[in-house]
Amino acid sequence: METIFTTNISYSSYLSEAGLPLQPLPEWTHTPDTLVRYYRNMVLARQLDNKIIALQRTGQIGTYASQLGAEAIDIVLGDLMESSDVLIPYYRNHALQMLRGLPMADMLSYWGGDERGNASAGMGEDFPNAVPIATQALHATGVATAFKIRGEKRAAVTVCGDGGTSKGDFMEALNVAGAWQLPVVFIINNNQWAISVPRSLQCGAPTLAQKAVAAGIRGEQVDGNDVIALHESVNEALQHAREGKGPTLIEAISYRLSDHTTADDATRYRSNEELKAAWEREPIKRLQTFLHAKGWWDEVQETAWQNEVGQIIQQGLTEYLQRPPQAASDLIDHLYAKLPDALKEQRERLLRNARQGGNHHE
Amino acid sequence: MKYFKLPDLGEGLPEAEIVEWMISEGDSVKTDQILATVETAKAIIEIPSPQDGIIAHLFGLAGDTIHTGEPLLEFAGEEDDSGTVVGVLKNESDATATDHFFIGAAPSTQAHSQKMTPAVRSLASRLNVETDNLQGTGLNGQLTTADIERLARTDRTHGKAEPLRGVRKQMARNMAMAHAEVVPVTLVEDADIHDWSPDEDTTIRLIHAIAAGCLAEPALNAWFDGQQLARRIHSKINLGVAVDTAQGLFVPVVRDIGNRSLSDIRGGLNQLREDVINRTIPPSELQGGTITLSNFGTIAGRYASPIVVPPTVAILGAGVIRDQVVPVTEEIAVRRTLPLSLTFDHRAATGGEAARFMRAVIDDLAKESIS
Repeated sequence: METIFTTNISYSSYLSEAGLPLQPLPEWTHTPDTLVRYYRNMVLARQLDNKIIALQRTGQIGTYASQLGAEAIDIVLGDLMESSDVLIPYYRNHALQMLRGLPMADMLSYWGGDERGNASAGMGEDFPNAVPIATQALHATGVATAFKIRGEKRAAVTVCGDGGTSKGDFMEALNVAGAWQLPVVFIINNNQWAISVPRSLQCGAPTLAQKAVAAGIRGEQVDGNDVIALHESVNEALQHAREGKGPTLIEAISYRLSDHTTADDATRYRSNEELKAAWEREPIKRLQTFLHAKGWWDEVQETAWQNEVGQIIQQGLTEYLQRPPQAASDLIDHLYAKLPDALKEQRERLLRNARQGGNHHE
Repeated sequence: MKYFKLPDLGEGLPEAEIVEWMISEGDSVKTDQILATVETAKAIIEIPSPQDGIIAHLFGLAGDTIHTGEPLLEFAGEEDDSGTVVGVLKNESDATATDHFFIGAAPSTQAHSQKMTPAVRSLASRLNVETDNLQGTGLNGQLTTADIERLARTDRTHGKAEPLRGVRKQMARNMAMAHAEVVPVTLVEDADIHDWSPDEDTTIRLIHAIAAGCLAEPALNAWFDGQQLARRIHSKINLGVAVDTAQGLFVPVVRDIGNRSLSDIRGGLNQLREDVINRTIPPSELQGGTITLSNFGTIAGRYASPIVVPPTVAILGAGVIRDQVVPVTEEIAVRRTLPLSLTFDHRAATGGEAARFMRAVIDDLAKESIS
């Protein structure tokens, strides 16, 4: 018997939990600009996340999927993706969407149940949130196929969770991406929990990255709490895609510090010890320690930025809350080019009976 | 906002139970400060404050269930409501002794308690809204926050409605029930009482005539059960006599008018009237009537359509006695007449029975004297 195929799955990390370099750092980290920007964006993402949960608890927004603990993935992707690239997100990419141009008020509108949030001009060619699990992976291969056919140097980027990798859609997407060598980057935000299903029950393989192997594409693991490691992997994957060198699967190891959504209570299935340990690894504190050590960030800057973030959030929030409600007829108006008579009558009845001024954030 | 109403904390969750309050009434709170932990069917959740403010009222204690959309707490100093004056009124109305009087033979109705959750009850009490007879728009007629707020608004605009109490309230209920249940037919006729002596006792004559009517047509001295479709014809005639008072309508019962002397009946009637006016009449004296007399003729009115109150099946109304120009054996004459209106429940009696009853009544009244 002879061995016909062997493979290795790499895991990369640059900063320890304590914010100390684990290996020589890449050259772009020798100056503060990018890392400070990453840090500031992550702080903004986290404060906004907290605020949205409070909005949900006070009836001012709908069910919301928190990003707590996944900030690094979004922030790095948002920085490295070109505007010509296309994002095919899942429901936990708000910070990434905003970095790509989605106004905060539009993002809030979507989570407030207002469809107009999905029609934001700020989204460019990016796709709306995919709530069905892993369907977006196939959409991304479709987008990437278009790029390939047109000969465009653009990358399609899609994100899913560890649970999503168990779906047929995900496997089919990987397969076609490999078969056609599509310019697509698959990111797994492996936050260890698919609602209440732990990673250990999700898949028998030791890594999720190795699913790439069967599809014949590049696959690797990266510390999802480490912006430097993420930056290196994502940058390379994007360049590969744009240069026609094929797709990449990146498994970013993170931890969902939040409940699955605001309709979930993780304390019912997850131990406090595990959560506490995960907080030791979270991405923001780690980078802050590193920046402090470098002398690139201090308490004064921190306080000033926290205040500024508060104002940015308040501004977006005010815009969202003051937005007049959608017309009831929007329910019908976008279904047909020419409205059938039966629906015309329903539309009139709807407008007659709809509660004036009804709003999700009343 | 004045009331912070419990939002849907999950995806279509109908309610949440208060686990713990982190603040107390009177506390100042900041936006996003944790106010309480609540438990839904899905999760234990911390509820932050939607705004800065002072907590005026908490609508529930730990362990209480609050429904989605119901007030969880009230902030002080926001958008005026009815305030303290109404609070005083409320105490007054609470202190008013419950009236145990009830009318005629109608079965007594238990004061029905309104269906509402503790939070809504608490809101109603806070806004001093009278909910006793309010029809709720919630599930199975439950009162909702919106119902209470709507009524509170009406109170502010048009003044507070005076809730009916005691006898008047019972009258309203009995009349509505009678209206819903009875199939009434009213027959009117004039009795010729020209031959009466000037000092004749009209009430006694009417009582005597009713006894004669019942003797001729016992079907009208009866109780009717609309549910069982069964009737009970009485051999004894217990006459309910409607008595008008400032507090409302009383119908004390004169027992066995067919077998008692006229002076005995007059004595008993006087006693009952006095007891009603002094409000010392025992409830038992208001029960057990088998037929009713309403003598509105002491005030004004010729004919009427009196209301039969179940389980009785007939009521005779007597109008104002007057001189009328009538033909008597082809001559024009002026005669004293007593206009009568008989309402009977057509479920329990036929038109023929009622007409024969009426015939016997006017024949008895036409007599010069009965003693």
